[in-house]
Amino acid sequence: MDISEFLLDFNLFLRKQKEQGKKIIAFISHDNIPEELIHAAGFFPLRMIFAGNDELMDASHDYLPPSTCSFAQSCIGLFSIKPTQYKFLDLIDYFIVSNHCVSDICASEIITKYFNIPRLNFYISYTINKNSLKYFKLELVDFKDQLEKINGINIKNEDLKVSIKCYNNFKKKLLEFSNLKIKGSEKLKIVQKAILYGPLYLEELESNIQKFSENHIQNRINSKDVLITGGSLFLNDYLIDLIEDAGGNALYFDTWVGNNYYSQIFDDAVFDSIVNPIDLLVDRFKNNIYGDHSVPNFLDNKISQIEQIYQDYLEKTGKKLGIINHIIKFCDHISLMAAHLKNRLQQKEIPVLNLERDYSKANRGQLSTRIEAFLEMI
Amino acid sequence: MSLIADDIIRFSSVLRIAYNLLTGREYLKRKKFREKKKLISVALPLSDLVYGFPDLVPVFPIRTHTFKMHKYLTYLGSASNIFGWENVSKFLGFIKNLGIGDVSKIIDEIIDNVIETVNEKYNEMYDIGIENGIPTDFCYGIKILYGMHVTKGKNYDANLNYTIRCSAWNKYLESLKTINNATKQIWIDVPPRNVGNALELLTENIYEGIRELERLSGNSYNNNLLRDHFQVANDIRRYYKAILYEISTSDFYPCNPATFSEILVILNNSFQDYNSNAVRYRDNMASLINEMKERIKNKIGMDVSKMPKILITPMFGGWEPKTHEIIYELGGRALYADWDLLLALEDIPIKTIKDPVEAYAYYLMNMTTNGIGCDNDILTNSYLRIAEKLNADGLVFNQVFGCHSVSNCFTILKEKIRRELEIPSIALTFNKIGENVEQVKTRLGAFMEMFR
Repeated sequence: MDISEFLLDFNLFLRKQKEQGKKIIAFISHDNIPEELIHAAGFFPLRMIFAGNDELMDASHDYLPPSTCSFAQSCIGLFSIKPTQYKFLDLIDYFIVSNHCVSDICASEIITKYFNIPRLNFYISYTINKNSLKYFKLELVDFKDQLEKINGINIKNEDLKVSIKCYNNFKKKLLEFSNLKIKGSEKLKIVQKAILYGPLYLEELESNIQKFSENHIQNRINSKDVLITGGSLFLNDYLIDLIEDAGGNALYFDTWVGNNYYSQIFDDAVFDSIVNPIDLLVDRFKNNIYGDHSVPNFLDNKISQIEQIYQDYLEKTGKKLGIINHIIKFCDHISLMAAHLKNRLQQKEIPVLNLERDYSKANRGQLSTRIEAFLEMI
Repeated sequence: MSLIADDIIRFSSVLRIAYNLLTGREYLKRKKFREKKKLISVALPLSDLVYGFPDLVPVFPIRTHTFKMHKYLTYLGSASNIFGWENVSKFLGFIKNLGIGDVSKIIDEIIDNVIETVNEKYNEMYDIGIENGIPTDFCYGIKILYGMHVTKGKNYDANLNYTIRCSAWNKYLESLKTINNATKQIWIDVPPRNVGNALELLTENIYEGIRELERLSGNSYNNNLLRDHFQVANDIRRYYKAILYEISTSDFYPCNPATFSEILVILNNSFQDYNSNAVRYRDNMASLINEMKERIKNKIGMDVSKMPKILITPMFGGWEPKTHEIIYELGGRALYADWDLLLALEDIPIKTIKDPVEAYAYYLMNMTTNGIGCDNDILTNSYLRIAEKLNADGLVFNQVFGCHSVSNCFTILKEKIRRELEIPSIALTFNKIGENVEQVKTRLGAFMEMFR
């Protein structure tokens, strides 16, 4: 299925959701938005996980300077141009302004302000400690209130717990799927689709797991495995093709659209021991130590996480795993830490490529060359 | 720049503040090695908590650097130890009035040197920041601060870090850990919004920070000491606001407007650590406002009633320092008021809130929610508020390359200005000092035409 068909299907799917009376709550995807609350309120959470292009980025320059994160630019561009394939964006009822980073705030605010989409707020602290957990809880309660005001119905704890369980099971399945040894581009497509459709995709996900397990599609023998960290590979991003064309295979997606999403699961003991579902969400925030939002230990945590994966892979295969740190241009979090991440990993003899790019087509050649050179080096 | 120099020497208080800015290294060395005090690195106007501990000294990092200081300013500094700054300043003014060419030249050079030497140092730090891993994509402010820490970070016993809305800022603070011999980091998390009991949480976070400062200092925290400092800090704020809103909005200036802008720049710089001695700084500010008022009373200075007031903002993350000279040459007067834009010049409310830590939490929360804001709607309102308070005739918006936080909202701001203030505005892009002066001149030339 090509991207046009995919988006057409998604358009139809969203329309059906609307026909069923569900409101669409969109947000610039990040790993601390409590989509379970949206789900429990009877709404549909829509993550903005769409890659950009030249046209979309250009269209955002009426609102923000070009030295803004390319992903944020593209999100604005989608609303400004509203390409035919993305007509489903017209179905959005509310947009969440959040502070994963300052570009998240600015882009979300512009989308709500200039494209007349009512706004919801959800902010998070930058640190993870006992008081920031308490603050996170305040925001969750406030967010719950905002959702309840929309449809005038209280979100019951039981309903929220059901939603958390529903997403938890879904993420567990997604994690299981992510461990399958299949071609990176295939894996990514399914992960993206799953994240977009949410637990409603569970059945199809299970059948995919079955299909791929039975067929046991192995890596191409000569391909070089890589872990992609940093910025996500969003829907319709050509980067995954460049990696595969250069002889690589993305084995791990250590990004929002990837491990950051499906690794944030509760084991049964935790799920049963925490009665208040809001506290469950707080607990998840507490454990999200690999997310790029937090300070001051993100870099240390990320390095130890990557090192662990690298060593496991080396032990199992006897081969080196390449690390591609995907830096979306002007991304505050990933870009500022990139040189330090690379230096520290290289000190541990882990091969790293800092791959910075925006979404312009003109970059393709240069990106290919850099990826090829890196893969040859491994 | 001779006009500027000519005027500044008549303000002994400005000379003192400038001298303290440039001779910080010697002063801080004395504090650290002779008096065994500990240096705490601070940035933005967030040094106040450190003053609660007499054996801790807050320092804006640039001040630990050695400046190529003009030898005559060194002599003046020595002379001031004997005769006092006021007498030295009077003497300089006297010589200047005599029109002795060489001496006048030297005085001009001294003052030029103060501003230029700081800016040269900033640019040097910019390059060092990039060489040490800060991508070119980031703003001038972050690059120079990182450079300062790379070069002199070992001198600090701790960094006092406050999280703010700017994600690059927060990550920059984390990145300081990557510098060799990284100093201790003390974090105070400021909640992004004032929801629920967020203010209480912030108060607790400040107390946590205080515990860390206690451990570092070896002395217990004392409510009275902090309250006393906040009183001094509030005095400083009051004087600062008097300069901004009484003097800068008047029709008669105690000096030429370019000098006045220069003074605002020096204040903007020095306010971040009060030159590491808040009482001395407060006294200098008191002298400054007195000197200004005295000159106005005696009709010494310049009628500026026909010169449009141009607010240049934001400039604390880096800006082209020639801007105010260019505006002056084009018939305007440039004003800088960033710290009040962020509401950092509001009182710390110790009169109404008994616990000084709670009062400080209130102050910080007000800055966060109503000053810098948790979104651009609030931030742009802050720009409007300042333009309105200054009764500005025009606004020059400084769009810093790589700033994704406070200087990327010109689209929203422009609309609001047009709708609510009806004054002309223009955006100037900035990357590095001295890089773009010709373009600034051309753009400002066209902009200032609107006031003719």
